[in-house]
Amino acid sequence: MVVETLELTKHYSKGKVKALDGCSLRVEKGKIFGLLGPNGAGKTTLVKTLLGIIHPTSGSARILGEPISNYRVHAHIGYLAENHRFPEFLNARQILFYYGKMSGLNTELLYKRIPELLDLVHLSKWAKTRIHKFSKGMAQRLGLAHALLNDPDLLFLDEPTDGIDPVGRKEIRDLLISLRNQGKTIFINSHQLSEVERISDEIAILKNGKVLKTGSVEEFISVKQQYQLLFTEGDTPFSEVCAELNIPLVQTDGLFTVSVESDLQLNHLIDELRQQRFILQGIVPRKISLEDYFIDVVGEEAQV
Amino acid sequence: MKFLSIVQLTFRESLAKKTFMAFLAISTFICLLFIFALNVDIVDGLQSGVSIFGKDLPKQFDLTKIVVGIEGGLSVLLYTAGIFLSLFATSNLISTMLKPGFVDLFLSKPVSRLQILSGRFIGSVLIVALNIFYLVIVSGLILSLKTGVWNWGFLWAAVIIVLSFTVLFALMTLLSIISKNGPLSLMVTYLVLFFSPLLLVRNQIYALLSSKYYGYFFDGLYYVLPKTAEMGAMTQNLARGLEINSWMPLWSSLLFALVMLGISAYIFQKKSY
Ligand SMILES: Nc1ncnc2c1ncn2[C@@H]1O[C@H](COP(=O)(O)OP(=O)(O)O)[C@@H](O)[C@H]1O
Ligand SMILES: [Mg+2]
Repeated sequence: MVVETLELTKHYSKGKVKALDGCSLRVEKGKIFGLLGPNGAGKTTLVKTLLGIIHPTSGSARILGEPISNYRVHAHIGYLAENHRFPEFLNARQILFYYGKMSGLNTELLYKRIPELLDLVHLSKWAKTRIHKFSKGMAQRLGLAHALLNDPDLLFLDEPTDGIDPVGRKEIRDLLISLRNQGKTIFINSHQLSEVERISDEIAILKNGKVLKTGSVEEFISVKQQYQLLFTEGDTPFSEVCAELNIPLVQTDGLFTVSVESDLQLNHLIDELRQQRFILQGIVPRKISLEDYFIDVVGEEAQV
Repeated sequence: MKFLSIVQLTFRESLAKKTFMAFLAISTFICLLFIFALNVDIVDGLQSGVSIFGKDLPKQFDLTKIVVGIEGGLSVLLYTAGIFLSLFATSNLISTMLKPGFVDLFLSKPVSRLQILSGRFIGSVLIVALNIFYLVIVSGLILSLKTGVWNWGFLWAAVIIVLSFTVLFALMTLLSIISKNGPLSLMVTYLVLFFSPLLLVRNQIYALLSSKYYGYFFDGLYYVLPKTAEMGAMTQNLARGLEINSWMPLWSSLLFALVMLGISAYIFQKKSY
């Protein structure tokens, strides 16, 4: 495991704010891992905790096999911070130089690597421009180049495509896939499903500091078949039947939704209901996609 | 090397501020003044005339007195205005490092928090030391070469000035780490800088106080706080080649700085950013 957290908890204001609330996650080597959640879910807090920027209230975590308190492991980690800031009096090249030095890279290597990276993020033309003139998108691309300086094994990207235009987003996605294909592990935080859905191998959904669900993208998309059952008489209690058959049942706004493993199980349920003289009015299939699931759990506010 | 890059970046950041550039410019101006304004004519190995700003001084005038006088004056200037300006110019070096988005980048590097803080601290002290030694060494050299009078006490005075700045900067570092607010830390540091000389005359204050406990309180404060007035006097005495009666003000102030830095390091280590 490249990232492993165990019951990680971070409280603010003496426990009034639970930014992380018993968060347990595992990320395998060579995967693109997407951490999804609405604003304020605790994604940034999690990444900062993994990097030793925030000290957890309780729980433990390891990255690249080392406890998070070991700062030396940062030599193999790249980090694109949300709303990062570089000294404004420096130009792009100087920033990569000084911060590369801080990562322990030598001058020779930096002289070779900096032009390559500036080229990769299309900033070569602005290499000697002081960054206070940079737009949000340019700053973000510089941040990405900075995160790749030390050729990291594990890359943390906190809202990486913020402020970047659609063409740039596509380029970043392609870049991340090629990095993944080189065996690197990439951990992406995002509140936008569309950003991670297409490239992630694994997804976790975080809300109120808790991991609600993890799995591969396929698992999310092909969730169990769901059906809405309509009855003539409003609130017909048939939860016992479902419980007996071990079928999950959700009741929202007078609608009954059951999740079944197969058509056979659905028919079995109908048989049971008919035998007990429930009057069915209709059965409506409800396909659940990752997006539906995401909207379900995180609410509308996330889809900006 | 990683540590050095933190020092280097702090240096760059200070230079980007115009204050240090102004400082260097003023120092250079003073040195130029000495080059052109002070003339000593040596004839057959003996001084035959001394002039300042073109005005001839009486022939029997003691050259040593002039040099020591000028250097004594310069060290007073450096101790007061120099430290005042240096504190002003470095006041946000620690607090900017702690700004959200900025601190993250430092902390995500393979360097310990202690290295980050000390790199920043040493970088700040170094740039001030550079400024002060620049003026002292260059102007001292010009004066000595022109007059043949070598006053090594001036160099020692510079050391004390830099140490005094370091002591006050240690206090400002702790305040910045607690408050994350540069201007606030600067103001409190100025307060200590100007308040501690008052403690020297605390005996006169005691007479006005009703309870002896106030006396203990002020005594305590005196021994704990940096002794800026006495270190100023020490600077002067060194520059004038006089005896130093007690080094206590220096070492107790340095002890204060060590404690400030220790607490700063501890708090910085424990904080989440
Ligand atoms: N320094 C702090 N003090 C108090 N609350 C904080 C602090 N930092 C973050 N929080 C709270 O913790 C929660 C999680 O924040 P964050 O990790 O930034 O979420 P996300 O990155 O998912 O948008 C939010 O409710 C936020 O208000
Ligand atoms: Mg965030």
